Amino acid sequence: MKEYFSRDKWRFLFYTMTHPADGFYEIRHRGQGSVPIAVAMVVLFSICFSMNRMLASFVVNDVDPRAVDSLRELTAVLLLYLLFCVGNWSITCLMEGEGRLKDIATVIGYSLVPMIVTMVPATILSQGIADNEEVFYTMLLVAGIGYSVIIALIGIMQIHNYTLGKTIIVLFLTFIAMFIIIFVCLLLADLVTQIYNFFYSLYTEIIFRN
Amino acid sequence: MKNGKKTKTGKRLAALLCAALVLGAGAGETVRASSLPYDAYNYDYREDIVFTPSAYVPDTSISGVNLGVGAFSSPQDLCVAQDGKVYVADTGNNRIVVLDQDMKNVLRVIDGFEHDGQADTFSSPYGVAVSEKNELYIADSENKRIVVLDENGGFVKIVDNPTSEILEDGYVFTPLKVSVDYANRIYCIGRNMFEGIMVFDEKGDFTGFFGTIEVQITLWEKFWRKLATKEERSRQQLFIPTEFTGIDVDGAGFVYASNIDPEGVQAVRRLNPKGEDVIKKGISGNLGGDVAISMSGIYSGPSTIVDVVYRGSGIYSILDSRRGRVFTYDREGNLLYIFGGLGSQAGTFTTPVAVESSGERMMVLDAYRGEIITFLETRYGSLINEAVALRYDGDETLAVAKWQEVLKLDENNELANTGIGKAYLTAGDNKSAMKYLKLGMNREYYSIAFKRYRNEMLKDNMSFLLTGIVVLCVGGYVFGRVRRRRKGKTAEGGIL
Repeated sequence: MKEYFSRDKWRFLFYTMTHPADGFYEIRHRGQGSVPIAVAMVVLFSICFSMNRMLASFVVNDVDPRAVDSLRELTAVLLLYLLFCVGNWSITCLMEGEGRLKDIATVIGYSLVPMIVTMVPATILSQGIADNEEVFYTMLLVAGIGYSVIIALIGIMQIHNYTLGKTIIVLFLTFIAMFIIIFVCLLLADLVTQIYNFFYSLYTEIIFRN
Repeated sequence: MKNGKKTKTGKRLAALLCAALVLGAGAGETVRASSLPYDAYNYDYREDIVFTPSAYVPDTSISGVNLGVGAFSSPQDLCVAQDGKVYVADTGNNRIVVLDQDMKNVLRVIDGFEHDGQADTFSSPYGVAVSEKNELYIADSENKRIVVLDENGGFVKIVDNPTSEILEDGYVFTPLKVSVDYANRIYCIGRNMFEGIMVFDEKGDFTGFFGTIEVQITLWEKFWRKLATKEERSRQQLFIPTEFTGIDVDGAGFVYASNIDPEGVQAVRRLNPKGEDVIKKGISGNLGGDVAISMSGIYSGPSTIVDVVYRGSGIYSILDSRRGRVFTYDREGNLLYIFGGLGSQAGTFTTPVAVESSGERMMVLDAYRGEIITFLETRYGSLINEAVALRYDGDETLAVAKWQEVLKLDENNELANTGIGKAYLTAGDNKSAMKYLKLGMNREYYSIAFKRYRNEMLKDNMSFLLTGIVVLCVGGYVFGRVRRRRKGKTAEGGIL
């Protein structure tokens, strides 16, 4: 456990933020990344996201606080994370991507850091702004999202050793793969419930026979 | 002994019960929500339904039989004159029935008039209106004319056969609803007249259309029309603007007109003398009756607004025939309260067609049952009406007392919270203003209050802030120097 959360790994996370291309190359080829840290970042992101929705000031926040369920959001974020990783992995396997599942998971987890880092100050800042100063708040959030997207893009490019064009195509295909996975899962769930219902009706039939 | 004890306790119990009953009866004077035949509710900022106290409760239902003039037959319109007399267009019986202010006695039944020395009658009089001069305007639909009578039923004029270039050849003028403004201009809704409200000047000449509703075609429909061939296009349904359903004119000559909006967004317009819509929409941007609607079932779909009444102080009510509800809005387009419902109980409607108001009474005309159902204002309703009226007149500070009373009855009322918040804002109590404006979900004014509060805080604490910054700077500098010196010492000494 210690080696996953070692000081070097944490330091390397921040190194990657400023040097994404080099950082992700090292992660892929020299084992500098850590999946547990990446997952921790995803959890942290989900917490920050819920917190922003719940606590951002009334001026900028149109979310009904009664509608925010942080645990549900956490499961949703984690599931989406899993889905994206698996989708991307299955596509890149077919398209000569060099990255392993563990690299993809690391890239996505690490690339959420800018969003975490901007969301917290943005939420605090929102407490001090009025109607026409919303711009600062949104700018901060947009900057975080933009930086995250760029890092994720560079990361996926690096670990699979792709060109930018191919990365974008692969991302597009990844989303299609995600939909297919969801579709198959739903199909499977439906099938399982049907089988269950079948056996359950058999059971009730037998029970009522005597 | 034992028995005696028992009876004693029994007596006590009975006494208690009696007391409870008496108390209950005393409290029963106010009408409980559960005893109403409909739900009183409103929509909050998030368009969720919130149940409120009832603003109006059913009072009586008045039928032609009660009045002793024979049952009404499919009456279609209702009008309250300025002196409080109530005119009912008894369409099926070809007559106009005039009731007194209390709607208990029939003053007159007009079933004809003298015209050029000959007796003339009505044929399906569909709409009725009374001018400021107490002249009676009757939309005599099957006779294709508008009849104007004076106060005593004497003939004044007939408006028929409008002629104009803009009217199609062979257009048959069938007036349905009619209204008249202070200058005796007549506004009339004609059957199958999609171009707008027809306006006649005081001499009875047709002057043009008014308040035309523009047809809205979505991009998607345009795209399909582009793809379709000419033949296909001719078979498609026409894009026809919706018809107006009811009109009312306020004292300043603005025309309130209701229409059926299939989108359920805007079912009422306020038309200025140029015919432009100048109605204000509230925060929700909706003036279409019910906001949350189901898409399937008997009561599905947006509200079908069939009539509108202007009630003074910027307040107007619209009547939904689909679910039998009366929606009341203020000048700013805020939904004030909702009451009424379909059903067969007293106080509900079968086919509501017209709505009117007179003082603290609201009345709805039911065509199928031939009854006028009246409603009386409750304390809740009157408080809201008064508060809105005070705000309309610019007395926001006086309105606060009313709003506070409203909050006692309905503590989540957003309008009341906003009203109080605004008053605090003008009084300079920004912190309280922020609290109430947030409860009222009014972001715009909350922001103003917040800005003022922030400035106040900054001004009050400027000295502390500046001192803090200076202390921090000096402290940091000193700390840095001390640390550097220590480091230097250890480096020199080589010990520690």
